[in-house]
Amino acid sequence: MSAKKFEDLLEPRRRELSNYFYINRALNPQVAVQISPRPSPQSHQEAVLNSKKISELVTEISQKQNVKREEIVKQLRLILEEIGYKKNLQVIRYLGYLLTKIFLKVSTGVYVNHQGISQIKSQMGKCPVVFVPTHRSYADFIVFSYVMFAYDIEIPAIAAGMDFQGMMGMGEMLRNTGAFFMRRSYNDDSLYWSAFKEYVNQLVSKGDLPLEFFIEGTRSRSNKSIVPKYGLFNMILKSFFLSQVPDILFVPVNVSYDRILEESLFAFELLGIPKPKESTSGFFKSLTILKESFGNIYFNFGEPISTRSFFQHKSQHSFGSIHLHETSEEEKKLIPPLAYEIIRRQQLCTVVTYTNLISLILSKNLTRGQQYTGFEQLGVEIGMWKQILQSWGATIFEKDVGEAIRECLKVQQKLLHCDENGNIGLVTNKISVGKLNPSKLKAHVLSEDTISYSVPFIMLQLYANPILHYFVDAALIVIVLRSFGKMIKDELFKHYCTLRAIFSYEFVLLESWFKMRFEDALLKLKQEKIISLHQNGLYYDVFENKYFEEVLISSVQPFLLSYYVVTVVLETVSEMVDEKTILVNVQSVLENALRENKIFIHPYCLTLDTLGNCLMSLAKNNIVKKTRRNNINVYDVNREAVRKLKANLEIYIPAFHVIKSFDMFLHLKSKI
Amino acid sequence: MTTSANKDKNIGFPLNIKSTIPKHRQELLKWNGWGYKDSQFVYQDGKVHFTGKRYPIGEQPLPHLIGYVTETMGVDLNIQSIERDPPKEFDYPEPNIPQNVFELLKSLEIPYSVKIMDRVTRAHGQTLNDVFILKNGQFKRIPDVVVWPESHDDVVKLVKFGNENNLVIIPYGGGTSVSGAVECPQDEDRPIISLDTSQMNRILWLDKENLVACCESGIIGQDLERELSKLGFTTGHEPDSYEFSSLGGWVATRASGMKKNTYGNIEDIVVHVKMVTPRGVLQKNCQAPRMSCGPDFNHVIMGSEGSLGVITEVIIKIRPLPACRKYGSLVFPDFESGIKCMREVAKQRCQPASIRLMDNDQFKLGMILKPAASYFGIILDGIKHFYITTIKGFNIDKMCVMTLLFEGQEKDVKISEQKIYSIGEMFGGVPAGEKNGERGYMLTFVIAYIRDLGLKYQIVAESFETSVPWDRAVTLVQNVKYLISRDCKNFGITHFVINSRVTQTYDAGCVIYFYLGFNYSNISDPVSVHHQLEEKARDEIIACGGSISHHHGVGKLRTKWYTDTVSRVGADLLVATKKELDPNNVFATNNFLTFSTKSKL
Ligand SMILES: Cc1cc2nc3c(=O)[nH]c(=O)nc-3n(C[C@H](O)[C@H](O)[C@H](O)COP(=O)(O)OP(=O)(O)OC[C@H]3O[C@@H](n4cnc5c(N)ncnc54)[C@H](O)[C@@H]3O)c2cc1C
Repeated sequence: MSAKKFEDLLEPRRRELSNYFYINRALNPQVAVQISPRPSPQSHQEAVLNSKKISELVTEISQKQNVKREEIVKQLRLILEEIGYKKNLQVIRYLGYLLTKIFLKVSTGVYVNHQGISQIKSQMGKCPVVFVPTHRSYADFIVFSYVMFAYDIEIPAIAAGMDFQGMMGMGEMLRNTGAFFMRRSYNDDSLYWSAFKEYVNQLVSKGDLPLEFFIEGTRSRSNKSIVPKYGLFNMILKSFFLSQVPDILFVPVNVSYDRILEESLFAFELLGIPKPKESTSGFFKSLTILKESFGNIYFNFGEPISTRSFFQHKSQHSFGSIHLHETSEEEKKLIPPLAYEIIRRQQLCTVVTYTNLISLILSKNLTRGQQYTGFEQLGVEIGMWKQILQSWGATIFEKDVGEAIRECLKVQQKLLHCDENGNIGLVTNKISVGKLNPSKLKAHVLSEDTISYSVPFIMLQLYANPILHYFVDAALIVIVLRSFGKMIKDELFKHYCTLRAIFSYEFVLLESWFKMRFEDALLKLKQEKIISLHQNGLYYDVFENKYFEEVLISSVQPFLLSYYVVTVVLETVSEMVDEKTILVNVQSVLENALRENKIFIHPYCLTLDTLGNCLMSLAKNNIVKKTRRNNINVYDVNREAVRKLKANLEIYIPAFHVIKSFDMFLHLKSKI
Repeated sequence: MTTSANKDKNIGFPLNIKSTIPKHRQELLKWNGWGYKDSQFVYQDGKVHFTGKRYPIGEQPLPHLIGYVTETMGVDLNIQSIERDPPKEFDYPEPNIPQNVFELLKSLEIPYSVKIMDRVTRAHGQTLNDVFILKNGQFKRIPDVVVWPESHDDVVKLVKFGNENNLVIIPYGGGTSVSGAVECPQDEDRPIISLDTSQMNRILWLDKENLVACCESGIIGQDLERELSKLGFTTGHEPDSYEFSSLGGWVATRASGMKKNTYGNIEDIVVHVKMVTPRGVLQKNCQAPRMSCGPDFNHVIMGSEGSLGVITEVIIKIRPLPACRKYGSLVFPDFESGIKCMREVAKQRCQPASIRLMDNDQFKLGMILKPAASYFGIILDGIKHFYITTIKGFNIDKMCVMTLLFEGQEKDVKISEQKIYSIGEMFGGVPAGEKNGERGYMLTFVIAYIRDLGLKYQIVAESFETSVPWDRAVTLVQNVKYLISRDCKNFGITHFVINSRVTQTYDAGCVIYFYLGFNYSNISDPVSVHHQLEEKARDEIIACGGSISHHHGVGKLRTKWYTDTVSRVGADLLVATKKELDPNNVFATNNFLTFSTKSKL
């Protein structure tokens, strides 16, 4: 696939004398559902108030608490004001103008696969359409709306977190472009949640705007997919299950950036350094960013998924008032596969950039102890990867390699530098974080040295992460074969499954798809001559492509190590342990190992994202039991299970002592 | 106990009736399509008109129809498909009936025929499949012999004869079935007798005191109404097929008439019914208006679709002819407002004899069938087009029309009208005159003729219907339309129509009637495609809380949903009933379920 697949929205903007006419052009935005008379922000709120569900609730509360209906209705109006979206074309045009100016200054391009978007546009008008973009940055919200504006599609009603409301002006601005707000806190204000659910139900079943929400629930700090969150997704699907709408089209969209606005913020957050509150001043500070360069933004719209076709079967809600029905338990069970499918399709839509490849290659070289990578060598390796990924069906954003590297170096100048001999390496700076208050930290009080050393690595990894899903399955197979030696397919699959299950949060995947992914990875490995078959095709073993093998193993190395250390820590701490204690211990073990500096340890293994994924996965696999007490997570450790897992992981790290464990990588190095 | 008990006291009864429909139906009716031979849409010299004077629309040019069929339906009027000639004797196998059995049948001295046209005419109802086969192909199985019993006693003889000789009997009334109920089971190897009830069409007696009449089951709607009206009465039962369908057929399919609000559905009209089964005659011992006496076996007979026995005599309620009959109509800005209005009318239980709501597409179809030259002028007569669209701001592509029929005393009709129009106003409705109402009802009779025109130009069409709780009606319509549009595209269909109307209201819900047609010039098996579309639509209807059918019945077309509809236990109960009443499966219609054909004797 060529770059022609993509269209740069900024191109025409750059060429025109003034953007004024573009911004003020006549619009005839495509709606999701043709409804007349058109519903309005106000009519939706009224419909919520008049709905059967809400009026019954009001009656119930007023009787129970002996307050007047009007009182409760007044409260509800306030709640709906807080939730409800608005539409102000003036604001939209103004923002459109502002964004055009900003993009022209800091971006080299906003690329959109125009075919994808025209396809969905041509399908709109008949049933609800829900855009489901990946969520990697706050910028997603607004850039997405900008793209809709450019293609003359109604700006979606966007589900936004209340934290935006905290940013003075920002919240209202977003609201005026169609954002509606959802409280995050897990309070059980039943009036609020009933109103919110009903509001969403109205938007889906009676609204004419497309919807937009982030199925991952939050910005992924790691720049790779997060397991789906079901709250809002369930609410949206209710209309389908209750037959209030004939179908819902979910449009997976991959949004990615050559450079993420929040990259350094994320790096700190991943280490557990408190993130500055997202306040307006913070936002405006980020406007000093205007002097910097952020490269391209990529939008890849995937094929819409028809809920109807996906579920095939539809159950019945034949009895009682339909307006009081809820999604049944049976129906809820159908939901996760669709959620995972959306995420899978988002991944399929990944636009692989040279920045991703550069990060992957540099990271691999750093792992093998090579601090610098020559410009030429980098170019050669990129070329190779491009080809391989292409043959695997990935979408590569193509450019001239030399130019791409230079571009990347420019955009990432805070992270990468190139000396006069063309040697490329990480920029290291002393970072001072001042005095940290341990009680305010999420985890260990890392030393400034550790932080200074780690941050660049972590930032680099952020740009390799989005393409790891292409490698992880192959990598796990290679690791199994490397550790055990040759084996038959069934056995290999068994080992693969065990590992894959442990990483099912880290590299999002549904268990029912393991087999498919395994077969797929085997095929790729054989094609690239990384594994081969022995003895009449019975046994699989690692083959001659050492280079490739190394890339694969290094790509999952930090994750494997983190998970292993978590099991080591869980074996020693008390059986009832709070989350912070675990995190502190793991980070401190790893920090010590880093300090010893005997062999290379990738600092990404310190990240709380990975440790968090690990704990969720352990809980899911019944190795720990998670409960919430006084607002903190407490884990009940099943020692036996932990020991088993540790023993299992240990096989892949050939020595039980943590430090020595890195022999594996030495061993690897020696082989190259 | 006999229902003809008081016949001596009833002067002039039993009343022999000369039916409009001759014994050999094909002499008056189309052998391969709907209705009278002399009534059809024809395209001639660049114009379409409806022939004959039977219907008000007859012999007038219909200038708007051509634009519609060519543009909306993509019809090429130059390509007319060739329909096959009426079948000849050698087109079908000889009657499969052993000589000795045949001799026995003759000895019963009941009129019969083995002529091919008589057999083919009774091999089918009026489903798309039936008519398509008539025009283009051949039935897999047709009756071997047609018999015309002339009384209850004849039927008793026939059923006994069938039961003793391992024969199959399929009752045939008016042949208007749209469920495949009257078709022969395809792989039946026993001889099949079509029992045509048309010659049992007497009104046996009439009881003015209690306002009931006892009729033989073969009487068809128009004959019954004509004769009763001569005496100052009506049944008020008027299914759209009432020109041709029979009293026995109504009972056997649980029919529903247009004016059920005033007169009730068939189950409300039937007071007493006799059914001849291989086990004997099932009936009650009195004509009391209601009984508490265990399960009501009238309800075993009603809806039995010919699979348990033959209905021979029915005592039905009659009513004095209404003094006043008046049409009316309202237009609404959109379908949803119209439904809301209907719901309110039902809530207040003030329905006139009939209240129907056509969606925008049907509304437009009504306009297209206008004989006048100006498209809009007359459709909205009584009110001005200008007023509706400009002053009221109705959108021509959204608005829909409600048709009304009032019956009763003049002053009651007036009150009823006022009430309905004021409710209509609450939901944005605007009165649109009597003419439009009247036309609406007239068109329901004429629309049945359109399919034959369509089939000439590669359009297949068929209706399906359902009943649904009020709160699910709008979404049901919306979802079915969406689904059909989507799937038509998936099948590669480029021109299609899917429209709907609400035809009845109840306290707890309403009836929705869909019409689906498409151009099949690029589709190889249109009947099967239509069937698949309808199947998906029905799945969706049921998922939306709608029923398997409101009045068309199950027959062979809707067996897929039968067991789920009545529960496993319910289906078993039907099997048990069947085994009890008809152990040898003489009435092997295969409606509802496939009962084992080979009987365990
Ligand atoms: C254009 C059109 C409009 C229609 N409109 C309506 C409508 O408004 N309302 C409605 O309810 N239906 C309607 N129908 C469907 C059909 O007219 C009814 O189902 C009608 O009741 C069938 O009567 P029939 O005499 O034609 O029966 P047939 O078609 O001859 O038979 C129908 C079934 O009943 C059985 N049967 C018939 N007579 C007897 C008997 N004496 N004893 C036992 N079983 C018997 C047959 O074996 C068969 O299974 C319509 C059909 C068409 C084609």
